[in-house]
Amino acid sequence: MKSAPHQRLVMVGDRDALKELLRLRLVECGWRDQVKIICKDLIKENGQDIAYDTLLSTVTSRARSLVPDSVKKELLQKIKNHLMAQEESLKS
Amino acid sequence: MSDHGCIHLNNFKAAKGIQPYKVIHSYFVTSTSTEARVRKAVSCLCHTCKTYKDRLHSCLHCIFFGCYSKGHIQEHAKTKKHFLAVDLCYGNILCFQCGDYVYDRELTAVAKSQWSQSARSLSLGEFYRAWEPTQVEADLLRKNPRRRRIVENSTIGLRGLINLGSTCFMNCIVQALIHTPLLRDYFLADRHHCPQPSRCLVCEVSHLFQEFYSGNKAPLTLHKLLHLIWTHARHLAGYEQQDAHEFFIATLDVLHRHCEAAPILVKDNPHHCNCIIDQIFTGGLQSDVVCQACNGVSTTIDPFWDISLDLGPTAGASGPDSSGPPTSLLDCLERFTRAEHLGSSAKIKCSNCQTYQESTKQLTMKQLPIVASFHLKRFEHSSIQDKKISTFIAFPEQLDMTPFMSHKRNGNNNTTIDSFPKNGEDTAFGDNRYSLFAVINHEGSLETGHYTAFIRQQRDQWFKCDDHLITRAKLKDVLTSEGYLLFYHKQILEYGKNSKV
Ligand SMILES: [Zn+2]
Ligand SMILES: [Zn+2]
Ligand SMILES: [Zn+2]
Ligand SMILES: [Zn+2]
Ligand SMILES: [Zn+2]
Ligand SMILES: [Zn+2]
Repeated sequence: MKSAPHQRLVMVGDRDALKELLRLRLVECGWRDQVKIICKDLIKENGQDIAYDTLLSTVTSRARSLVPDSVKKELLQKIKNHLMAQEESLKS
Repeated sequence: MSDHGCIHLNNFKAAKGIQPYKVIHSYFVTSTSTEARVRKAVSCLCHTCKTYKDRLHSCLHCIFFGCYSKGHIQEHAKTKKHFLAVDLCYGNILCFQCGDYVYDRELTAVAKSQWSQSARSLSLGEFYRAWEPTQVEADLLRKNPRRRRIVENSTIGLRGLINLGSTCFMNCIVQALIHTPLLRDYFLADRHHCPQPSRCLVCEVSHLFQEFYSGNKAPLTLHKLLHLIWTHARHLAGYEQQDAHEFFIATLDVLHRHCEAAPILVKDNPHHCNCIIDQIFTGGLQSDVVCQACNGVSTTIDPFWDISLDLGPTAGASGPDSSGPPTSLLDCLERFTRAEHLGSSAKIKCSNCQTYQESTKQLTMKQLPIVASFHLKRFEHSSIQDKKISTFIAFPEQLDMTPFMSHKRNGNNNTTIDSFPKNGEDTAFGDNRYSLFAVINHEGSLETGHYTAFIRQQRDQWFKCDDHLITRAKLKDVLTSEGYLLFYHKQILEYGKNSKV
């Protein structure tokens, strides 16, 4: 089943922990503030009734490109470690 | 956008209350228990296409999960006329009749408390939350509409300090404190509420932060600060040159004493004080004395504000690389945390075997402070002569303290239950990386020396503070300077552990 590793990550709470780590890193590197400013400026331009979907489709690609490589790398490494640990525990 | 939801959500709440939201949120958004996480893992799939991602939503009216990206939750809403859904990633409510997410104060409060519960169930302390103004703060912001956006190369926060006759030692320490990120956040957020404003050093520092960030570039005079420190730390009074390190410790001590009238005892902090100074600067040093006869260990933990490091060759130590003097900060720390033989002339009564025995002693970091301050002992005072050791000691911009932690470094056999990570402490993501943010240098000889400071501003801008003169500096200048006091700031802060920071 394709979603099994994902399910196990959710079950033991690793997914929440990883998500929280990512959130912290994005705050620490200033990414969150940058994206917030982009959104604020868009809302100022388009009026405050701008729909979430419009905002999302405008901001997503820019926001993605602003994520520092170091953050991506760290998260990838940590996810890998968690999955490997999972595999180990399944073997024994 | 208001936080009173929309007419559709309000009608739903009037008919069914907030229970449906509570249940969905606690099981499938936050997962406040292990049972909830298992259910989330197994059942959070789009009922139509079986995906677990693609912006999954749950219908608020019935049991249905659908993805948004491929339109399956929209489809459900339309055919069943179930117009309210909960986003399973963030917990926000989507109203299909309004065509957008809506915010409701009551449901937001539910979500908040469940996030906390979930973080606790995972021993993560507290999830990060963006700052939200209180009512008072919101009013203040409305009354003072002028905003200042700090741009990349802004020099706000930089100000020179007038030398009042050999007071460069004080100017340097003040520059280092003013540019300590967490201390700045504390003071600029106006967190000090004072019982005795006129005689309080904390109030004076608070006032200094206002001056530094006022936008005025003219150098400042620290008369009042100096006077306050003289009154409260009498051994420092007088206009002659003082030792910057001694002044630093004395300043922390006076600040700590003035922070709160009645200090609150906290177990978390080795100094058992939760004033802002102790929250930022206090760490815990573990000392293990091991009896050579029975291997019995006696462990004590003491608070520290800084670590003083010897620069001379180590005497009496055993091991292959114990000969020459240290050449880097890492060298110094390695020596500092090395097990040291106390020698046959220093027998200690062992609490285990109750006899006088030779023993070894090892110091390690039990708990790291947010700001790690290192004092390179460049001044040697002896009965014969006072001298300055000017050897080059390399120090890095990024420092990982993990190798010097008790649980890593300590080879003793008391590393069982006690050193296992407790809740929230050094769990899977324990991170002990630091980055350099201030260096204080003593230039010249012992008698005619002059103190200057390098400080970091913004993320990676360096400046040299030489009394009233502030000049731009390169990282290379900082890292090749002699270094007397080195200040490192923790890169990763855990939220919720120190409620006040
Ligand atoms: Zn789907
Ligand atoms: Zn439904
Ligand atoms: Zn609506
Ligand atoms: Zn005060
Ligand atoms: Zn204190
Ligand atoms: Zn013994």
